[in-house]
Amino acid sequence: MLRYFLKRLLFLIPVLLGVSVVIFSIVHLAPGDPAEVMLGPSATQEDISNLREQLGLTKPLYVQYGIFLTNALKGDLGRSIKSNAPVIDEIMERFPATLTLAMLGMTFAIVIGLPLGILAALKQNTWVDALCSFFALVGFSIPNFWVGLMLMLLLSIYIPILPSSGFDSWKNLIMPMIVLGIQTMAVIARMTRSSMLEVIRQDYVRTARAKGISDRLVLTRHILGNVLIPVVTIAGIYFGHQLGGVVITETIFSIPGLGRLIVDAIRAQDYPVVQGGVLFFALCVGIVNLLVDLLYAVLDPRIKAQYRAAK
Amino acid sequence: MKKYRSVLVALVVSLAFCLPAFAAELRLAQVADVSSMDPHRVSDIYSANVIRQIYSNLVQVDENMEIVPDLAEKWENPDDLTWVFHLRKGVKFHNGEPFTASDVKYSMERIKDPKTASPGATHLKEVVSVEAVDDYTVKIVTRRPFAPMLMSLTRYETSILNEKAVSAAGADYGSKAAVGTGPFKFVSWSRGDKVILEKNADYFRGPAAIDTVIYRGIPEDATRLVELESGGIDLIPGNFPYQEFENIAKNDKYLTYKIPAMSTLYMGLNTEVKPFGDNRVRKAMNYAVDKQAIVDAVYFGYGTPSRGPLSPVIWGFDPERKDAYPYDPDKARELLKEAGYADGFDMTIFSDNRTERRSAAELIQAYLAEVGIRAQIELMEWSALLSTSAKGIGGGFMLGWTGTGDADGGLTPVYHSANIGSSNRFRYKSEGIDALLEKGTATLDQDARRKVYAEAQERIVEECPLVFMISQQLLGASTKKVQGFKLYPNMISPLFAVTLAE
Repeated sequence: MLRYFLKRLLFLIPVLLGVSVVIFSIVHLAPGDPAEVMLGPSATQEDISNLREQLGLTKPLYVQYGIFLTNALKGDLGRSIKSNAPVIDEIMERFPATLTLAMLGMTFAIVIGLPLGILAALKQNTWVDALCSFFALVGFSIPNFWVGLMLMLLLSIYIPILPSSGFDSWKNLIMPMIVLGIQTMAVIARMTRSSMLEVIRQDYVRTARAKGISDRLVLTRHILGNVLIPVVTIAGIYFGHQLGGVVITETIFSIPGLGRLIVDAIRAQDYPVVQGGVLFFALCVGIVNLLVDLLYAVLDPRIKAQYRAAK
Repeated sequence: MKKYRSVLVALVVSLAFCLPAFAAELRLAQVADVSSMDPHRVSDIYSANVIRQIYSNLVQVDENMEIVPDLAEKWENPDDLTWVFHLRKGVKFHNGEPFTASDVKYSMERIKDPKTASPGATHLKEVVSVEAVDDYTVKIVTRRPFAPMLMSLTRYETSILNEKAVSAAGADYGSKAAVGTGPFKFVSWSRGDKVILEKNADYFRGPAAIDTVIYRGIPEDATRLVELESGGIDLIPGNFPYQEFENIAKNDKYLTYKIPAMSTLYMGLNTEVKPFGDNRVRKAMNYAVDKQAIVDAVYFGYGTPSRGPLSPVIWGFDPERKDAYPYDPDKARELLKEAGYADGFDMTIFSDNRTERRSAAELIQAYLAEVGIRAQIELMEWSALLSTSAKGIGGGFMLGWTGTGDADGGLTPVYHSANIGSSNRFRYKSEGIDALLEKGTATLDQDARRKVYAEAQERIVEECPLVFMISQQLLGASTKKVQGFKLYPNMISPLFAVTLAE
């Protein structure tokens, strides 16, 4: 088990290194630079080159990358060009909002999606199934910024019970949670349904039933555990997806999260913040995937057994 | 009894004054959160708005863009190169430090110091020395006679800072500390979310009526509107979406604000690219485009066709000016024929991806097609458009110009040939225009100066290295509660005079 864990952890290193190279190249090879954005249309060439010099942008690219990498290894991601604050501070200041949002969105997705899928499978080919499937299809198909605006119209203006933007109380989180979670909810519901239908037809389920075990016990003991494996995989993948979706949600609801930080930084060509932010995102996704893999091993005894055998 | 009556009256009166003890809180939403509150290190309008409430300048502009005293009570020019400012006495910074001439010297030198890398350094380019003659007198000497000096000193980039406050905060200045002499004090900033300011009870013009100001950054137009309608914010000071303005103006729950903006939108032409070197072709393009139609379609009627290179609210705009080029496609065809392009030609219009600019480019494309000019549109990243057009872009380009509020800032960077390679993106050299602009910069007598700029505007319209387009309007809205708010043409509106009705 520990070996499994360590192996997966080691995999993170080349991934992050790769991400750092890619993001560094994209940011620096894209046209325009922060000096131009900061100084605006009236800047003279002299102003621009002076600022460029100050920002250390005149050094050769590989030198800049080397500096970036060595500092990053020491936990120093540099200072924001726009605000002059340490990038790591900016990220840490914004991360709690994003993490809260992503977790809530995932919780919403699982709490609603899982029962919906189970219900649909148990009542296969009835109107309940049709309704659940329709709900899941709609949830997957509608663009989430539209859901956001409609919710806002409904819950902030027509029935004014929720604030439409900001990050001051739990009330601010309800609409963003739904917007962020709705697509994953739909995916989980559909995945659960098909996975359930598959498992229900397995021999061991039939055997259990034949032994006279109650439907309820069959469901909880024999079916759910096996259903969960693909669902966890999907949830893990979609968690990364959600961290990306956070950008839109944070913009609509004006939440001071990491997604907005990065988008604003891209607009301002604030290189250190873009690099640091994306690298941090990659680290988060990597860690989530690692956790999902571990959870896998817990859920699926076959994986554990594999590693035991290898020992 | 009589003895006590006055005491009683005094008590009642003082109670009555105490009653409005509710904290007057004004909540505004801008498009973005601030990037820093260090005036010497920012260049965005959203930070500028917050900076304007915290800091003071030597001089300021009023809502008509006329220069008014701020920290300097009066000033004079002993000679053409020297500006002497007499400072207000008894002013205190928010940290309790007294404001003196040394703060002015420190601030100006900090802006000019290359280590500060201040985007605003360009405003003080002509300054050779700043000297504190005594505690309340400052002498600024310029390299050459520089009439726009006063306007430069009104800019938020040239706000007056306190040296002790800056060195005490170190690298955190602007994010965790911001100390000025303005009507509001900095309290806190939660990054990406909001800035909180509170009333400065010691403000030299007396305390503001509002106790707390909250500036929020809400990037989505729709969300900003919902917040206004649901009571989450009180005021949207500018950047109100054009398409929604009519609705809100009709609704009697809200107050709306509408003024001409300092900025103008135009399509520049790189005159080094064929056939834009030919004045007849450029004129033809100016006649070919129906600007009013673009105002109506893209800006929902909130704007006017340009009356020349300057917006009407910029100091030095010639009020006698008419529409630069009224829509006249026949004349356009005639001019094209005269220039040898009876069958038109192919060209590219470069634009960034902002909806309004892109839509305007599309309409221009359609109007040019009517006179036989086949234009295609190419979209670019904003900073790429800036740098490519500075080096010489292969055709026309959509750009706006805001300037400094003074005719010099509106014309010299854009039309003077010394700025070819940077802000003269038309790469156009006209000795006549150069001479007029230099004369305007050097003429300290404001009336004589106006005449020089009137002539320059006429000349630029005649030579037209660009297609004049539109002067936009600035739009804002608030709830009825907000009283006394004025939108300023430079998009930086002070809140000192704003009051809140119960």
